Amino acid sequence: MIVEMSRVEIIGLKKHLERLIPFLHTSGYLQIDDIREMPDVIAQPFTPTMKMKEDREEVDLLIANINGLIESFSAYHKETDDTGGQIDDITFYGIKDSVAGITAKVQYFNMRKKTLQDELISHSKYNEILKVISPFMPESTKKSGNATIRALVHSSQTREMALLANQLKLLTHGKFEMITVKVGEETDAVIGIFPLDLISQVEGFMKNEKIVKLVLPEEYTYLSTDEALQHIEKKVELDHKELDNIDESMHRFAIKWLPVLKTWQLICKDKVDEIEAFLKIGETEFTFVIFGWIPKEDVRFLKKALRKEFSRDISLSEIDIPKELQSRIPVKTRNPAVVEPYEHFVKMRATPSYSDIDPSMLVAVFMPIFFGMMAGDVGYGIVMFIIALLMGKKANKGLIADIMKFLRLGAIWTMVFGVLFGEYFGNLGEKLGIKPLWLNRSEPESIFPLLTMAIAVGVGHIMFGLLIGAWNAFVHKSRSHLLERVGMFVGILGLLFLAGSLSSYLPGGFTTLGWIVFAIGLIAVVVSIGTTGIFLGPIEFVGLIGSILSYLRIAALGLASVYLAKVANDLGGMVSSAIAGVLMAVIIHALNIVMGILSPTIQSLRLQYVEFFRRFYEGGHSPFTPFKKRIHTKTRIVKIS
Amino acid sequence: MEKAIIALAAALSIGVTAIATSIAQRAIGSAGVGALAEKPELAGSIIILVAIPETLVILGFAVAAIMLMN
Repeated sequence: MIVEMSRVEIIGLKKHLERLIPFLHTSGYLQIDDIREMPDVIAQPFTPTMKMKEDREEVDLLIANINGLIESFSAYHKETDDTGGQIDDITFYGIKDSVAGITAKVQYFNMRKKTLQDELISHSKYNEILKVISPFMPESTKKSGNATIRALVHSSQTREMALLANQLKLLTHGKFEMITVKVGEETDAVIGIFPLDLISQVEGFMKNEKIVKLVLPEEYTYLSTDEALQHIEKKVELDHKELDNIDESMHRFAIKWLPVLKTWQLICKDKVDEIEAFLKIGETEFTFVIFGWIPKEDVRFLKKALRKEFSRDISLSEIDIPKELQSRIPVKTRNPAVVEPYEHFVKMRATPSYSDIDPSMLVAVFMPIFFGMMAGDVGYGIVMFIIALLMGKKANKGLIADIMKFLRLGAIWTMVFGVLFGEYFGNLGEKLGIKPLWLNRSEPESIFPLLTMAIAVGVGHIMFGLLIGAWNAFVHKSRSHLLERVGMFVGILGLLFLAGSLSSYLPGGFTTLGWIVFAIGLIAVVVSIGTTGIFLGPIEFVGLIGSILSYLRIAALGLASVYLAKVANDLGGMVSSAIAGVLMAVIIHALNIVMGILSPTIQSLRLQYVEFFRRFYEGGHSPFTPFKKRIHTKTRIVKIS
Repeated sequence: MEKAIIALAAALSIGVTAIATSIAQRAIGSAGVGALAEKPELAGSIIILVAIPETLVILGFAVAAIMLMN
């Protein structure tokens, strides 16, 4: 149901404005219109003060910081919509300081983590090389007074290294010892051992020959290979421990601060909304004026609340809605809880127009019935109902929750049609002697009645849509639409007479009557379109028949489902092992149930969107979005400084 | 022989229209997913656009059913 809306004007002295905006924000009744977009208003738009601009910048910056922290924490703890923390006595500066404190800690942890990760990468490389060369190190390296020099060279350079080693031996009077160890596919490690007092000579020689030394971190430079390896291994272990500690701290931080940050985020967004609300109002030198929309039933509540808070200093009055604003009336719908999921399905297509009929209730009736007609199996219905109940408990809101609520009702209709078609996990019921109340879809002779049923449902659904469309056109005083929809309705009626008499369900005289009624309908459609109607009118009619035939999908999906169920039972029966047979049947039935949830949901939604809505539904108005707090607080955030 | 030809014709009427539908849905679906990434509020319109070509295979099914019933 679409709620009746009123356009209101609030006027008062500017000195009350700073109190009024937070008051309207807290009360949450009014959708404020932007005065800059109002064609019928001549008041000057409100000029924001410098302080307001500064506040806005500051809050935007704070929101960006909070968003950054939420993103950082969400890597450590699952992000939810839960809010928490103290909300009743917090100041903007309190939030700002706390955010700065948390940001500093998070930045420290992130930087430390980065340093440790870099260190681990380099240490792991040293560790790898030292581990390979360590077993080949001669005893002489452990002698005090000996120095060790390490270098990595390409395998192709090993020969040149041997020549260099000879030169170094000459240089050190035979006191230079060299070992080569393969550390990679194309890399060799070269280790030279010599007396410590010759280190400057050896290093100078290597520098001249452009041999790159394997330089260990400073703290390991003067250690033997084994000692360096031990120290590096210890360091790697400590780094891993510290990384784990940081992750643990961040996780604890995330659990503690994520809900609080969410609360602060909402508080800050509310502040932005308040600042933006000021920009939407009009002003003179001493007064202000606010235009907005409010459900008619709420006008008296807001009036009463304003009187109580501001006495007679601020006046609220209902004003006429000019013609040019008719298309801008925001739409608020109200439906019983059971219809709400379907309201969301309708809004997925488009928000209804203010003067339209809200089709949510109709969708709530037809969609589950169509679903049941397609799925139509008692066993499948029970399984679907259980799935809908279990998944519905997990998903409280959103599209999945809506689909589960729909599925619950759809599953009940599936069971109802299952009884009519005598289907209990396909033909299992039939094998147990359960007879259908109406028709057995798996028998070839049932195809004709099944198709007839689908067409009849289509005709009924579309004619109902055309009737609503005609009523809408009548209310909107749109002659062409009224003529078109009535013409189509009459045309279908003529076709029904024709089909009835040709198939001998009606007396022969109905053939002529059918042609006459059809011709009247066609002429009405042609006239409604105008000059091109002579061509477009018949095309529209062909389209209408196509729409009716589109309902054959109800029969088609039903047949596909029943035959797959039959295959599951027959295949299961063919297998010699009872357990394997049951397992096979269960797997195929499970597949059929999954397909039986997906396809009929989409197809029944499509029948509403494409075939039914096209006859009457326009939509396209904006939804009613009241100026309302995201989170109710008693903060002192109203005044930033 | 006549029965076999009718069965083949029925299979073709379903099969060919199913292929045609899938080709159309492939193009619409991939464009639709792209559009959804930009504007999630278009979900309703995209469901309609994706579902429109299915009428082809439904009409194929109707033709096949009529052939088999006769």
